Amino acid sequence: MADSIALPRLRPISPQLHLFKLLPGIALLAAIGYAGKLLEQNISRYAKAHHTVIPNIEYVLWAIVIGLAISNTVKIPDAFLPGIATYEFWLKAGIVLLGARFVLGDVVKLGSISLVLVALELALAIALMTWLGRLFKLRPKLSSLLAIGSSICGVSAIIAAKGAIDADDEDSSFAIAAILALGAIALFTFPLIGHWLGMSDHAYGMWAGLAVDNTAEATAAGALYSDAAGKIAVLAKTTRNAMIGFVVLGYALHWASAGQAKTISNKASFLWQKFPKFVLGFLLISLLATAHLFDKEQLTSLANLSRWAFLLTFAGVGLRTNFREMTKQGIRPFIVGALGEVAIASLTLVLVLGANRVFHL
Amino acid sequence: MSEGNEKKSSAIWGRFRISLDVWAVASALAAALLVRAGVLKHIPW
Repeated sequence: MADSIALPRLRPISPQLHLFKLLPGIALLAAIGYAGKLLEQNISRYAKAHHTVIPNIEYVLWAIVIGLAISNTVKIPDAFLPGIATYEFWLKAGIVLLGARFVLGDVVKLGSISLVLVALELALAIALMTWLGRLFKLRPKLSSLLAIGSSICGVSAIIAAKGAIDADDEDSSFAIAAILALGAIALFTFPLIGHWLGMSDHAYGMWAGLAVDNTAEATAAGALYSDAAGKIAVLAKTTRNAMIGFVVLGYALHWASAGQAKTISNKASFLWQKFPKFVLGFLLISLLATAHLFDKEQLTSLANLSRWAFLLTFAGVGLRTNFREMTKQGIRPFIVGALGEVAIASLTLVLVLGANRVFHL
Repeated sequence: MSEGNEKKSSAIWGRFRISLDVWAVASALAAALLVRAGVLKHIPW
């Protein structure tokens, strides 16, 4: 999901954490996100007023591009870093609130289809990355981390697996850098491919949710296509995230049997510990919305709150992507990651187009 | 603060330590509750 090699990972928040330390970074996220929103609105207004046709560039892209421009040209002062790292919090809160825009029946229907596709994607991605890792003679645990990162949930999965399989910091950094760099590339290429193929919002959203690794990038890649595609991308990605515990447990058991990781005594507790709790929050809000606990105006308010949370997330995606830092991590893991991601994106595209024909996504 | 007190204090706070996931879910649910109760209204976009 979301982390950075340049920014500190947000540790579990405790009540004694000084809130004011977060404020500069959060203010920066809000300023960048809002600037992106204003740019989209003003360019659109200008085009209308002058009767000219200017391609509509969504606030999502503006927020990411402004963030990228800042993080890759100036050194961000340390005072901003803790607040910038909260973009993961906004992402998860935004996903939970997005549950209000789904009727539970749709979640079950689309979730079931995506669950089948996720299972196929997991098997393909793990097999492919393991094979590529062997082909390029990567260290076995690095191959495992890349396979976990590309099959499930990007950086969160790598971090969850790092402790479970006793991987070293260097391997984790390699895998994280490769996944983040490829996520950044996917942001710009996926919408272009989707438009080129004339994909429907639902089919494209499903593809973005299945093939883009980090949750933040998958959400952004979906939202860059359309609002509806963004919704479906989040749903598909959330289904994928729910699998994190099972895959990490599988790898942990494999490395433990090889005598290279700790044994796991309580598998149920391990699964619960690794399970992303925001998935439950998403389902709960969807359930409450389906039970008509909120009226129409309240649902609009919740949807808008979710959009504001995502606005901060997209600014954070740009700010934490530092290309210079990524290139320091070496080329071989990146090549393996890139080859694997291209193959996974192609295979999932075929899967989604096939599912679209059968289920009319 | 003595070492003993520090340990005691960190153990107490340790009980309240919550993961980022849980914080995000709790905050989103609290926001939804405020919207439902009418405290937060007409949130614009």
